[in-house]
Amino acid sequence: MRFVFKTNYDQDIRLFQHAGQMWTYLALFAVLLVAPAVVSSYMLSQLVFVFIYALVGVSLMILVGFTGQASLGHAAFLAIGAYTAAFMQAHGYTFATYFLLAGVLTGIVGLLVGFPALRLHGIYLLIATISFSFIIEELLARWESVTNGNEGMRVKTLELFGMEIGRNSDYFYYLCLGVLTVTIIVTLNIMRSPTGRAFIAVRDSETAARSMGVDIAATKVRAFGLSAAITGFAGALFAHKMTFLSPEMFTLQLSIEFIMVIIIGGSLGLHGAILGAIFIIMIDPLLTLLKDDVPLLIGSLAQAFGAGSERVKALEDGTQALTSTAGLKGVIYGLIIMLFILFEPFGLYGRWLKIKLFFQMFPLYKKSTFKRQKVYVKSERNR
Amino acid sequence: MPNIAIRKLALSTVSMAALAIPAMAQTPAATKVTDQGISATEIVIGTHQDLSGPIKGWGVAVANGMKFAVDEINLAGGINGRKLRLILEDSGYDPKKAVLATQKMLEKDKIFANLGSMGSPTVAAAQDIVLDAGVLHLFPLTAAEFTFKFDPAKPQERLKFNNLLPYVESTRAAVKYMMTEKKFTKPCVISQDDEYGKNVLDGFTQQLAAMKITPASVTSYKRGTSDFSAPVAKLKSDGCDLVVIGGVIREPIGIMGEAKKLGWSPAFLGATPVNVIDVPALGKEVVEGLYAAGGFEVPYEDTAKGKIKAWVDTYRAAFNATPNTQAIIGYNVVTTFAHYVKLAGKDLTGQKVLTALESGDGFQDIFGSPVTKFSKTNHLASTITSVQQVQKGRWVVVKNGLTF
Repeated sequence: MRFVFKTNYDQDIRLFQHAGQMWTYLALFAVLLVAPAVVSSYMLSQLVFVFIYALVGVSLMILVGFTGQASLGHAAFLAIGAYTAAFMQAHGYTFATYFLLAGVLTGIVGLLVGFPALRLHGIYLLIATISFSFIIEELLARWESVTNGNEGMRVKTLELFGMEIGRNSDYFYYLCLGVLTVTIIVTLNIMRSPTGRAFIAVRDSETAARSMGVDIAATKVRAFGLSAAITGFAGALFAHKMTFLSPEMFTLQLSIEFIMVIIIGGSLGLHGAILGAIFIIMIDPLLTLLKDDVPLLIGSLAQAFGAGSERVKALEDGTQALTSTAGLKGVIYGLIIMLFILFEPFGLYGRWLKIKLFFQMFPLYKKSTFKRQKVYVKSERNR
Repeated sequence: MPNIAIRKLALSTVSMAALAIPAMAQTPAATKVTDQGISATEIVIGTHQDLSGPIKGWGVAVANGMKFAVDEINLAGGINGRKLRLILEDSGYDPKKAVLATQKMLEKDKIFANLGSMGSPTVAAAQDIVLDAGVLHLFPLTAAEFTFKFDPAKPQERLKFNNLLPYVESTRAAVKYMMTEKKFTKPCVISQDDEYGKNVLDGFTQQLAAMKITPASVTSYKRGTSDFSAPVAKLKSDGCDLVVIGGVIREPIGIMGEAKKLGWSPAFLGATPVNVIDVPALGKEVVEGLYAAGGFEVPYEDTAKGKIKAWVDTYRAAFNATPNTQAIIGYNVVTTFAHYVKLAGKDLTGQKVLTALESGDGFQDIFGSPVTKFSKTNHLASTITSVQQVQKGRWVVVKNGLTF
């Protein structure tokens, strides 16, 4: 087991705790760089969605995971970013301009939404953000001169440095990867700065944070603004990936999906946002593939056990009928989420930490390392 | 049959001409059409439906209708000896899932054509990928313009065709008939807040503008609502005598029920999605007298005759569900495709199917819809509309062959 011997306070806030960590991430980055040459465009498309969802995941991690403010309004932030980008592109602005503005404008809206958050907690804040998202949805449907209302808005192909970048091209993949990487690095830096520490202080106890001189109001509003801005950037990419925007794409359901990203990923750190995004995006295609392949697998298994061809066919058809049942995917999806919430409150990242520790400590691992000392319900916590 | 021989001859001339034209005229680039998914024994087709989302009431029945047509064609020996294999994916009405499902079908299943995919936002997000892959995008379940209007400068856009009756045009035709023949004077509209409702509203306002009539009242409701007391009270106080409803199934029932409660009985006219069996089946006496725009006569199990009777009975036996309009549309998607594939001949290629689709050859379904016909410049089958009315709990055709 590795033991990092600390001789300096700065070591606590280094981006990489030790050289091994740095090499691992560089290796991961290298793999992602060569991915377009290796994987199919179907897979590449999934990765682009993972990157976009991971961006939203990171933004939610800042707001929900680190600052402890609830939000079910992130679909609305995504919509603001997406529509800003699409509208400005249609009016002849360059990508650099509208991409930045999508983030900045969404950030400003986020700041405004942050103000009610000063007085609201937990479930009440949740309701406020839901109402905000309804207002935006309604606005998108009504403000026809800008959003084209319910008819929806087509988004032109992205143009950068004089060339067209299709939504399924390798360049678009690299663009999304780049934006995500920069966002993660910036976020990590913010989190080790006084601002980031104030976020965490506010989450853990507002009373304690205030007594330490943290400006609660400014911190919360900042967290909202920052989170919204990142989602705005994601929105601009989302607009180009979908090529079509309509108000019914940005519903409460999407906000819930975003929250699921960090619940499944685990709210311990940014890793959770990435793992959650991978899970949320990949589970559906994976279940789709299983739907096609499981019947064949069962068939060949039966054959191996010496079943007649008629029986094999019957088995294959039976499994096919079962696996193609509409809504089965939804049930499996829901079940997995429930199991996570019940048995792994720290999500995929929490599970990964446990597995890692198990092998590092082998054979001395003990379960109680991760036992929660005290279980809080948000409303019980002393504010 | 000599008829077929002549048709074949005409077709080969057309296809030769089609090959010759790009050389002569200055078309920017030829349309790339794939041959993937065609083998000696099989043609693979794909569709994404909403089987678990907000419009699964449509998606499941359309999917059933498509499966039914595929089985029927395969039992009869396939198309020129090739059987159809249908890949069905669930999008849950989520554009992101529709995009991924479409890419999966294109790359893993290698579909030859995308047929009858469901929903406006889903099709809008996924359609380009299909076209760029050189795969035909046929007869999606959305009547929006982007599914058939194409830009001649973009060769891949030639691959999209639609045979659904568009909402704008059908609403215009029905409104025109009601205003001129039934002599209403104070038309009003209530539509739902989405892309479909907007289309109905557009059809209504365009037709009234053409007839130089001002609408007496225009109102809307949020999709999924069940309380129509406020909008109906508004319609009543504005003195409407004809109310056009841009709703689907529950809405016309809710709106007419509310009007009954107020003791108010103007004429109600629904857009095409209202013209389904579910409306009188659920609405009972409340929707008696409701008019709707429609494409074909809705068949009933006990009064159907001949081919339709056989169809209705087999459908009921196969799916244990009431054969409805949605299933018929799904069935027609596949049979129309099969018609043009057959026309393209035994030595099948994508280019030949495209040529067959654009040949102008007409397809007549068994349900008495207007004839489906496309040309090199028009990729929308028909805008001919009928007006139907609920009489004694059943849809009855009032007037056929309407245009605006």
